[in-house]
Amino acid sequence: MSDELLVVKDLTTTFTTNSGPLTAVGGVSFTLGQNETLGIVGESGSGKTVLSRTIMGLQPRRNVTVTGSAIINGFEVVGASEKAKRQIWGTEVAMVFQDPMTSLNPVMRIGQQIDESLRVRLGMDRASAKARSIELLELVGIPSPVERYNSYPGHLSGGMRQRVVIATALACSPKLLMADEPTTGLDVTIQAQILNLLDELKDRLKMSVILVTHDLGVVATRTSRIVVMYAGRIVEIGDTRDVFYHHRMPYTRALLESSPKVSNHSHTRLQTIPGRPPNLMKLADGCSFAPRCAYATDQCHNVRPTLQAADETGHYFACWNPLPSNRGVRAP
Amino acid sequence: MSADRTPLLKVRDLTVTFGHHRHAISAVAGISFDIFEGETLGLVGESGCGKSTTGKALMRIVEPSGGTIELRGVEMTRLSGRALRNARTHMQMIFQDPISSLNPRRRVKDIVAEPLDCWKKTPGSERDALVSDLLSKVGIDPAVYGNRYARQFSGGQCQRISIARSLAMRPQLLICDEMVSALDVSVQAQILNLLEDLKAEYGLTLLFIAHDLAVVKNVSDRVAVMYLGKICEIGPADTLYDEPAHPYTEFLLGAALEADPDSPMHSQVLEGEPPSPMNPPSGCRFRTRCPNATDRCAEEVPLPQEVAPGHQVACHYPLTLTRRARLAE
Amino acid sequence: MNDDPSLAGELPGQGLFLIQEATHVEAHERSEPLGVLFWTCVGWIVLNVLGAIFANALPLKSALFQDYNNINVGPGWHHLFGTDDLGRDIFSRVVFGSRVSVAVGVGAMIIGFGIGAPLGMLAAYKRGRFDSIFTTIMYVLLAFPAIIATIAVLSFWTPRALLKIIIVIGLASVPLVYRVIRTATLNVATKDYVIAAKVQGATDRRILIKELLPNIAPIGVSFLLIGIATVITLEGALAFLGLSVNPPTPSWGNMINESRTVLAQNPWLVIFPSAALCLFLLCLNFIGDRLRTHYDVTEVKL
Repeated sequence: MSDELLVVKDLTTTFTTNSGPLTAVGGVSFTLGQNETLGIVGESGSGKTVLSRTIMGLQPRRNVTVTGSAIINGFEVVGASEKAKRQIWGTEVAMVFQDPMTSLNPVMRIGQQIDESLRVRLGMDRASAKARSIELLELVGIPSPVERYNSYPGHLSGGMRQRVVIATALACSPKLLMADEPTTGLDVTIQAQILNLLDELKDRLKMSVILVTHDLGVVATRTSRIVVMYAGRIVEIGDTRDVFYHHRMPYTRALLESSPKVSNHSHTRLQTIPGRPPNLMKLADGCSFAPRCAYATDQCHNVRPTLQAADETGHYFACWNPLPSNRGVRAP
Repeated sequence: MSADRTPLLKVRDLTVTFGHHRHAISAVAGISFDIFEGETLGLVGESGCGKSTTGKALMRIVEPSGGTIELRGVEMTRLSGRALRNARTHMQMIFQDPISSLNPRRRVKDIVAEPLDCWKKTPGSERDALVSDLLSKVGIDPAVYGNRYARQFSGGQCQRISIARSLAMRPQLLICDEMVSALDVSVQAQILNLLEDLKAEYGLTLLFIAHDLAVVKNVSDRVAVMYLGKICEIGPADTLYDEPAHPYTEFLLGAALEADPDSPMHSQVLEGEPPSPMNPPSGCRFRTRCPNATDRCAEEVPLPQEVAPGHQVACHYPLTLTRRARLAE
Repeated sequence: MNDDPSLAGELPGQGLFLIQEATHVEAHERSEPLGVLFWTCVGWIVLNVLGAIFANALPLKSALFQDYNNINVGPGWHHLFGTDDLGRDIFSRVVFGSRVSVAVGVGAMIIGFGIGAPLGMLAAYKRGRFDSIFTTIMYVLLAFPAIIATIAVLSFWTPRALLKIIIVIGLASVPLVYRVIRTATLNVATKDYVIAAKVQGATDRRILIKELLPNIAPIGVSFLLIGIATVITLEGALAFLGLSVNPPTPSWGNMINESRTVLAQNPWLVIFPSAALCLFLLCLNFIGDRLRTHYDVTEVKL
């Protein structure tokens, strides 16, 4: 399939810890098309961040075993050497991290940080690199980019820094932008600005975006498809609207119902999921969500469910006792 | 809403200034509000608006530089030494970072008993019973977990232990400073529900400080919105969210992301960023980003005016009035 | 401004942090053992200290008796480590020599910690004027070359006795201890649990003892051990310059010093005291470092 930008197949990331192996990502498969935005949603420990880093090939060298395959535009990341991966970082795939302060070098002018990758990767000379950097700063909506080119990251606000990080990621026009919690820690009004910017850039530069987040609000209106992760596995995947309105996995529903909504009246009782996320060191054979699930049966506790197709195309869920399909009933 | 309208806490013209002279930052620039007995007042705003500083100033963790704080008629700002330590126990605070709020080297039951031990008013057996009771109330089994160290718990559990600790002295006012913002959605819901239950059981009055609009609305009876050290709007939670009177509140609500793909996309995004509190704009502090601003906004500081019962707004051109005028046409 | 709800480092899903979070409980419930090497080191230190304390009661040859029939004898059954150029038993001298080293190390650190640690804790907790005054004083003292000052004072303050050496080195270490303890306390004093204790009505004394002390103790202990090692080295250096205890009282330092002249004929004379000193310091440093990592609850253990 040549129209797929990213093909992930059976990807597994296992960490060797002092207390034994820990499978942070367990057999994840999905594809991402050109110019598509995919949301990866999950709580802490769901493996969403490890997954995004594994796809990037950014796992630490020691104590990690990665199996399966992740192919970005024809390049197999799993097992690739550091040198080979450097060829695709920036040009094929780039990453925006959560904390803009730590992903920028505080003692380097922001212009130089963008220049650097332009000159090293694209072999630009000093003058054209500077011109391109200013262009990029303008692209991400930084006011008076010529003056800002000489600022240090510490002089910018959180929102502005995240814009700079995005500009740095876009320097070598990657085809896939991986954004790991890009707006967490930013104020709501700034968050809206950054998400709008990502949306706009995606269309303008014809790239694909993966939005990794814990916030369902972030993915609801900005993605075309969603992956819901729990304990290192995909529990539901499908078009955004299908996952929000026709979800079949009880965990997806619980996640949706436990987040407070602005449109609800004050003092609305929240639905909660009993218990806590599972310990990845001690995963049972069955469904990882079974101990917290109201519908769990013996089968759920003993046999791990695989992804099965729902009514809609491209909509899959991993559950033995799925919620009934509400096709045509359309949730309120 | 509470029928009993006696203010438990009366705050008047509270100011907090950091730094000196030319570098002075007024983090809180003269705010006044009441918290009535048995209610939850939500305090919402973006980073740097002074909401956390307000909470800390009420506890006198940071010193207010002006104004008065009256808890049941007792003026807090003049107390010192033992009187201050004593008065503080009537108010308690829960912090944002659950892990950092608990001493990693102490056992859970000692952490919860700490306020009792400080005052040495409770005899040993009664103390242990009280600690066990508090821990079970917040959903931590005292028999299993009481002897564990705080570092062995997850964020949600730590926040439960913090709540148990804060209730030990039977405070009248509980200040929650971003207490759920570091937690996962499912854990957050558990903690919010727990807080509502305990509020009813202990008859608590709450000041709930957070940046998340949906969370604040969920727990609050009334909500105050802060911008750059000033309260710009205060009113009943439902009315304030349905009919915001201040342009800033409207933008804030518009930017809030709903977990619903069909939620209306607000095309109007608030541009720019808040100005520096070191050099705030003259007149209305929001005027530099406000689409409705006029010359009057630059010259006159807007005073709070009532647009509906209990709903006050500090704006020269409140939206509710224009909206009503439009409806009347 | 303490208003920033920036959640860096606390929210779900940051890199490997979540792995640590997931294994959080287990990792601490079964705290990993300190290891054989650690306990071997502890054993060696205990043996040395016991030897120093009970040297008189041990069936040893006199450290001062000069046996002119056995000068510069190599190690053997009769003289375990051999004898020196005056026919004194090296083994006995090494054991008795440890007394000086251990006494100087422990004694000086008691003085250093006794003054430096409380001041450092108070300064970091109180901040304000108290902090600025003491920190300034300590930095002025630190800027002063301590070794040269110690040498100057010791050469002036005669006759030299063990107690004087302990006092001089102890006082010289106060600013170092102050700085380490102050920094460690500053880290802890800004934590929310300290503020929480304050708002519950805890007195300053209670906060210092219950909240701060247990959290800086591990750093304090490891610095104490490394400090003892440093002081012992310093004593060795002073002895080498002839500024420590007066001969014929043996100390590891002055034994090495005396061996200079006969190094060619009798290398054992320098090897054994050096080995004793070296092993002792190595063990102390290792224990100190191991304890610090073992009790550091904040360090990622992946």
